[in-house]
Amino acid sequence: MNLVRDLLTLSIGLALATRLHAADLIAPELPIEQAVDHYVQTHLAERQVHPAPLADDGTLVRRTVLDLQGRIPTIAEAKKYIESTEPDKRLKLVDSLLASPDFSYQFRNQLDDLLMSGQKGNQNEWREYLLKSVRQNRTWDQMFRDMLIGNEEDPETKAATTFVRVRAKELDELTNETSTIFFGVNVSCAKCHDHPLVDDWKQDHYFGLASFFQRTYVTKKNVVAEKFTGEVKFKTTKGEDKVARLMFLTGTTVEEPVIEVSAEDRKKQDEEVKKQTQNDKAGPAPKPPFSPRAKLVEIALQSGNDQLFARAIVNRVWAMFLGRGLVHPLDQMHSGNSASHPELLDWLARDLISHKYDLQRLVRGIVLSQAYARSSEWSGSTASPAADLFAVALIRPLSPRQYSMSLRMASAAPETYKPESGGEEWPKRRDELERNCEGFAHQFEQPSENFQVGVDEALLFSNSSQVADDYLRDSSDRLIGAIRPETDKAKQITIAYWAAFTRPPSGEELAACEQFLDKRTEPVAGLRQMVWALLTSPELRFNH
Amino acid sequence: MSTADPTKFKIAKTARVKGIALCITQLPGSQRLVFGSSDFKVYELDLAAEKPQPVEYTGEGHQSYVTGIARTADQIVTGSYDGRLIWWDTQKRAPLRSINAHEKWIRDVISSPDGKVIASIADDMRCKVWDAATGNLLHTLVGHQAMTPHHFPSMLFAVTFSHDGQLLATGDKVGHIAVWDVVSGKQVSELEAPVLYTWDPKQRRHSIGGIRSLAFSADGKLIAAGGVGTIGNIDHLDGPSRVEIFDWATKQRVQEISDTKFKGLVEQIAFSNEGNWLVCAGGDNGGFASFYDAQTGKVLHQDKMPMHVHKFVLNDTQDTLYASGHEQIAMLEFKADPPPAAPTAPTPADVTAPSN
Amino acid sequence: MAHTNSSFCGSPDHGVSRRGFLGTTVFAGATAFAANMRVMDALKNPCLAAELKRQQKSVILLWLGGGASQFETWDPKPGRLTGGPFRAISTDVPSVQISELLPKMAQRLKTTAIIRSLNTRNADHGGGTRLMETGRAMEQAVDYPDLGALIARELGRVDSQVPDYVSMYSETEGRHKGGAGFLGARYAPTFLTESMIPPNIRRPDSMTEIDHQERADLQKLLAKRFADKRYDPSVASHGMAYERVRGIMASEKLFDINLEPQSARDFYGPTQFQEQCLISRRLVEAGVPFVKVARAWWDSHGQNFETHLELCADLDQGMSALLDDLQQRGLLESTLVITLAEFGRTPHINASLGRDHFASAWSCTLSGCGIKGGAVYGKTDEDGQKVVDGEMKSGDLFATIFEALGIDHKKEYQLGARPIPIVDFGAKPAMEILA
Repeated sequence: MNLVRDLLTLSIGLALATRLHAADLIAPELPIEQAVDHYVQTHLAERQVHPAPLADDGTLVRRTVLDLQGRIPTIAEAKKYIESTEPDKRLKLVDSLLASPDFSYQFRNQLDDLLMSGQKGNQNEWREYLLKSVRQNRTWDQMFRDMLIGNEEDPETKAATTFVRVRAKELDELTNETSTIFFGVNVSCAKCHDHPLVDDWKQDHYFGLASFFQRTYVTKKNVVAEKFTGEVKFKTTKGEDKVARLMFLTGTTVEEPVIEVSAEDRKKQDEEVKKQTQNDKAGPAPKPPFSPRAKLVEIALQSGNDQLFARAIVNRVWAMFLGRGLVHPLDQMHSGNSASHPELLDWLARDLISHKYDLQRLVRGIVLSQAYARSSEWSGSTASPAADLFAVALIRPLSPRQYSMSLRMASAAPETYKPESGGEEWPKRRDELERNCEGFAHQFEQPSENFQVGVDEALLFSNSSQVADDYLRDSSDRLIGAIRPETDKAKQITIAYWAAFTRPPSGEELAACEQFLDKRTEPVAGLRQMVWALLTSPELRFNH
Repeated sequence: MSTADPTKFKIAKTARVKGIALCITQLPGSQRLVFGSSDFKVYELDLAAEKPQPVEYTGEGHQSYVTGIARTADQIVTGSYDGRLIWWDTQKRAPLRSINAHEKWIRDVISSPDGKVIASIADDMRCKVWDAATGNLLHTLVGHQAMTPHHFPSMLFAVTFSHDGQLLATGDKVGHIAVWDVVSGKQVSELEAPVLYTWDPKQRRHSIGGIRSLAFSADGKLIAAGGVGTIGNIDHLDGPSRVEIFDWATKQRVQEISDTKFKGLVEQIAFSNEGNWLVCAGGDNGGFASFYDAQTGKVLHQDKMPMHVHKFVLNDTQDTLYASGHEQIAMLEFKADPPPAAPTAPTPADVTAPSN
Repeated sequence: MAHTNSSFCGSPDHGVSRRGFLGTTVFAGATAFAANMRVMDALKNPCLAAELKRQQKSVILLWLGGGASQFETWDPKPGRLTGGPFRAISTDVPSVQISELLPKMAQRLKTTAIIRSLNTRNADHGGGTRLMETGRAMEQAVDYPDLGALIARELGRVDSQVPDYVSMYSETEGRHKGGAGFLGARYAPTFLTESMIPPNIRRPDSMTEIDHQERADLQKLLAKRFADKRYDPSVASHGMAYERVRGIMASEKLFDINLEPQSARDFYGPTQFQEQCLISRRLVEAGVPFVKVARAWWDSHGQNFETHLELCADLDQGMSALLDDLQQRGLLESTLVITLAEFGRTPHINASLGRDHFASAWSCTLSGCGIKGGAVYGKTDEDGQKVVDGEMKSGDLFATIFEALGIDHKKEYQLGARPIPIVDFGAKPAMEILA
């Protein structure tokens, strides 16, 4: 068995080659957060880098709530945590956040962003499927199966195959995006030539992977189906015409079982497929005896091959919460681009596989680590440590939805939202909030590598009536309406700071704001302008 | 007594040709057809032959698409996008006279029923009336706007004579129809058929359509205008084939035929001599021919054509139609069954000489 | 690390505020990511010659969405069955003829080079558009910037007071914003569709000028406390975006052609495209490095000739007025005007007298800056079925465009660990048409 494994590793020569032997890793039964901190700390110590201190309670509760609930905390939520003296308050916070209704929305949104890049439209059934999956803590391998080969007759898994459905028109897109999302491997340049930088990826890999999707099509009735025949042909860099073999990224190949079919039957099959693509009254789509897509799922999850699948999602979840992958960029998991913390990646992948791809367990462990909890401020005299050391928390732009919801909460009267109240009321409000914020969220781009804020966004905030009439309204349900009756300016400013930033203003900030308000001839207009300056701060735009 | 029965419509013969046959006429007393092509040439094709082969007209011909062809007493006249009219000797199949007739693309050339007068139209938005025998210009009819309301160059697509040769009607891109007195060269009426012009102000910001065909009824009272109805996606000819019939003296529209069974342009229309039906043909990527009851606008018969039809000519007994179109020439028959008392079958060469 | 300027020599010479180069103030502290990319560029080229060379340069892209026909524009085939009815006419360059549908451009071909040998293979609107907008075949996992963003990045000022990528697309068919891809939203287009005035460029009526200004000052002051302790390029871009607001607002008048004399408006003509050509001149004159004017929709599956009669008339008038105006103002030598589409149209004329999608042998043009006017690059066979000389792919075209502007086409960006060449692998410029 070992011999087989070794031969496999040898023959494929890819990311797996950097994988260490299990024996070299620290104990599998350790809590995830301890393993994380062990590896991150050791790495820092070896380089004699002193990390930033842990973030203060206010910053940490804000960060954690943003990450696990998809919105900023209310003042009450934050103060409850800050004022608590319980030694295990952080553990309790994380567990309660993970158990809250908000988490399922937020993690659903994160998965949606990952799987659809926020670009493929908001298909209700798809998002419902994700929400349900998070609520049931459906395992990642099961979701992968649902998305790739879900039963089209079951409404639930039919929603999952939206992943394939929206990409099926473009074979390249379906191939590449499946590969980057689930295996962390971008093989698309291997389409035209063997990868210029990476020995791992040859044209055979690209077209081999594409072969699993070649027969996939969408019927006129919008059902994902597969044809009976079809193979990928390509021209090699040397100009030869070649028929691709069904080949997974690890080099594992599949031979299609030979099934004798008469020419007449073959013709009937082709006609049926044609009918399926043209006629919305056709019966159920035929199911060929051999499904390349099902075969792909089977191979990808086979022991040995499953490393790609496990490491890719570990890396992505890590990046969601730490701002950067252990392998960076996220789609470049190959032998030429090793992980910053290879042992940690191995440990986490092993842990994930042995816990049946329980993503929420992984999230909990990461969020409980010290690496997650560091301050994002760097005030030392030396240059800020390299990002891949995770010595200082990385700044992460809010997703459009996070930003939209956070703006709404920050600009609301402090008692408007009461997630801490529990009961029947809050889940409904949360659902409402989610929906109400969708429109504004659509105006922002999904953050990606090298994210930048464009001037369009600054103009939107500076001049649109949308911002002025909504976030800056002075009705009693809004922040401005709530602080308006207050006569003490310092109190007004302090409440606004808490609402927007989960902290009181510094002396300097208080003075600047007071001075600003003093100069205004029209007090309410002054408040609106000051609150605008808070809402448009990078402190609200980014998770820090 | 009419020998036509539209319900007997059938394709009698077809011949493939190179390129697009844009216009067609028939030589008297024969099945010899002359057509103008997208290869800039004029050809004769004898459908009576077992395997009809186009025979090229030679000599200095046109330098662009040959879009119009008219038969005079003993010659034919062709017009082209090159702006020229050429008179041809049909025996020698050689040019007799060439005139630089228009500054822009000639869209059609027709002759009066007596063959004495020629009318040509072009994108200079003028209709020119010529003495068929001498080639002298008789009138220049000016009345169509050079630009569309949307600042694009307009086009003058359609022209027709009344059966008595006294009137001309012309129709342009935006659906404007002018009626002219041939003798005086004065405009006597104008009509509007704006639905035949689709302007897309938003999605694609250009236009499609226009009046592509015109015909007078035999009594001269009605004018039918053909083209394509409103199109959603103007990348394609994906709109109902459309005919509007006017009583031009009162400017009343008496009939509106919007036919979704066959889509695309109505490229040519003809009324029956009895005034009971009209036939039109055209197409999109495919082709069609439709017969309508002239009084009610109801379909009498309609069928696919083997190609998009650009022009057709009816024989004098109006029971046979010769169509030119995309890479094909076709002969269609719609002859009434002979009465049982008269058992003689119609001969294939049943074309009679023109009255003049 | 990108956020320090320690590797930069700091000489005040470099601080001379030139277009495309940086004022000293933006170097300090948490500089914008973009700013540092410029520093890196400058370092590669210590004498700054290339930097100076491309100052004040601009691009106007006339995007013929839907796919204009090369036969009815730049590569006529008169007398061939594939050639259609229109004649080829002589131009002010003796050896070159173009379609008679472009009579005005025929008199201005000395400004313009024609490329007749594009073979880009993708004849699908979406794919072809992405290909011709970005200059390379899509690699799904890398979000490539489009030409506008690349030019904005290369020729724009980091702290520009005007937008550096303006994109107008009024027709709804094929409307496509394009984008900055991995270069980031700093280089995303100001996208104009229905209205030619950019959204949110006007101060709300409810606020006074002073309040608007002082509110922005307070925002900056409060934001600084956060940004100062956090060295992050995204945070820096946030500050930069807000800092640019006032300048961009001041540029509103650039979009208002009512400020042009009637004679200028008449000179360009009355159609929307022609007005947009005039706006593009105003923008370029004010220092906007990239303007795209989309003129859709040329997708003439039916009635190709009538469609081109209309659209070529629009193009001929708008483009020739634009070139004349740029020339009269001395801007043509620093402005590159491009006509381009996602593909051309088939030699075969279908039964609807239409032409369909065709990417194997089609044309585009480059006029003005860095271009050898009157040159013709590449050749198609007598029926326009295939390229027989000088085959060009989208990457080659992009390389040519960059070189015409003085931008090294071999340049690479660093995207994380990955070097990303500015043009596609192996792309080469057509030196023959460069001045």
